[in-house]
Amino acid sequence: MLLISWLSLFTWSSITISPLDALQALYQFDQDSIAQHIVRDLRLPRVLVALLVGACLAAAGVIMQGLTLNPLASPSVLGVNAGAALGMALVSTITPWFGLLGTTVAAMIGGGLAWSLVMLLGSGWRTGNEQGRLVLAGVAISALCAALTKALVIIEEDQASAVITWLAGSLTDARWQTFDAFWPVAVVGLLGASLLSPSLNLLQLGDDNARNLGVSIGCVKLIGSFLVLLLVGASLGAVGSISFVGLLVPHMAKLLIGQDHRRFLPIAILLGASLVALADTLSRAIIFPMETPAGAILALIGAPFFIYLVRKKTL
Amino acid sequence: MSLSTRHLSVGYHQKAIVKHIDLDLPEGKIIALLGPNGCGKSTLLKALARLLTPMQGEVQWQGKALHEIPSKQLARQLALLPQTQPIPEGIKVKDLVAYGRSPYTGFWGRTNQTDQDIIHQVMQETGISELAEQLVSELSGGQRQRVWLAMTLAQDTPYLLLDEPTTYMDLNHQVELMHLLRRLNQQGKTIITVLHDINQAARYCDHLIVMKEGQIIQQGLPSDVLTRELLKSVFSLEAQIHQDPIAKTPMCVVE
Repeated sequence: MLLISWLSLFTWSSITISPLDALQALYQFDQDSIAQHIVRDLRLPRVLVALLVGACLAAAGVIMQGLTLNPLASPSVLGVNAGAALGMALVSTITPWFGLLGTTVAAMIGGGLAWSLVMLLGSGWRTGNEQGRLVLAGVAISALCAALTKALVIIEEDQASAVITWLAGSLTDARWQTFDAFWPVAVVGLLGASLLSPSLNLLQLGDDNARNLGVSIGCVKLIGSFLVLLLVGASLGAVGSISFVGLLVPHMAKLLIGQDHRRFLPIAILLGASLVALADTLSRAIIFPMETPAGAILALIGAPFFIYLVRKKTL
Repeated sequence: MSLSTRHLSVGYHQKAIVKHIDLDLPEGKIIALLGPNGCGKSTLLKALARLLTPMQGEVQWQGKALHEIPSKQLARQLALLPQTQPIPEGIKVKDLVAYGRSPYTGFWGRTNQTDQDIIHQVMQETGISELAEQLVSELSGGQRQRVWLAMTLAQDTPYLLLDEPTTYMDLNHQVELMHLLRRLNQQGKTIITVLHDINQAARYCDHLIVMKEGQIIQQGLPSDVLTRELLKSVFSLEAQIHQDPIAKTPMCVVE
């Protein structure tokens, strides 16, 4: 993870940055070096945001899969991403609401509404039965939210470009203020996730066993859902819609570590962080000096791995 | 009375299966719930373990309604072994048994020496010590049943609720289980178990509760409860009652 971050600090820049500059910017900052200024003011916050986004989305995926016992559960599949996008689009296009709420808060509310709707429609509060319904409900709500978002973009063309960049998920605009707004929420969410992990373990034994072992199931699901919203809302508010991390990284971590949430959650967080940082670095490389959205790169990395998982039937 | 029901009705989908039951479960005994399929014995057991919410009335633990007691606290008093269990993916036997200690473990589910000792002991008692490192999903039905039993025992509760624990087990393991229940009972545990085999119940249990159509028909000592008339009215069975030549308990032989 550190290696990827360091690479990301100096590679593929319009102005040449040496690997040494990247390190010196951190330890012996030279006021006169433009390269070091770029590292400090642009690259460093960007990498940090990328790491955190990856960590948050991976943790959110772990929680969602743990709560629903559904291997497909993730922010993008169960409508949270699309709902958050709609919320974000609403506050940034419709004039009376413009600036009423920060994009992060709007994303959280939108995502929260979509997630509750999916859980209600797919009877997700009762675990173990009719797993397909939950995913169907997620896909349906996602499609609905996406359609509404598109309609908004068409109606309010002036504001549309920001929404479109956001939908593709890009770290281009990640600056120190993005990081400053993001990290407290992310840390709270990640800590909460690790505190929840023993209960997630017990939920995997089914509702009856979990309750029998003293888990207050309703309570865990409520707290878990809230954490998901914090983590996803904060990430989406910071960099836009990034899919695949929440779906895939938990499976990668399980493959590596096994099924104990207490142990694979930290690994998932590290993997997610590395993956998004890597994707962001690559996003600058593919059609240098232009940037490809990191979200697109993640889909490129994610899809083959997902096919591999499906073939292995380890879901 | 530690565990009792007051005017309890409980069921699924708005349909009551157990109807208006007032029951005091005698402490320190091995109690068997008997009755034909669909009579509500498993439903009653689940309600006793607060896995089902009563439609009317309540289940009480030391005079207090179950839902008023914090979940973790109750999990140190009552443990239930359900009839059918999921097959958890990728979990080792010893880890599953260790989950039984969850009501006691502190921060992050960490186990201490006492927990480890209990886990070790229950695995020995249920004869699964040598399976410790295997995956639960790779075991046979009977072995898996013993692993779940071990997890339930690891909860170390004064009350043990078992729903047909002998299903899926070989005869020798069934007998071992009944002997284990006896030993646990002698250590002071109250055991409430749904059983299919009337003779097994008569031989190993102190108190029988016979149910039919959601009602309690009869309860008491096996020798008082098991009669020709009862077998006919509850199970529609023509049978004679003899004395078990070894245990001297009543034994029914179908005509």
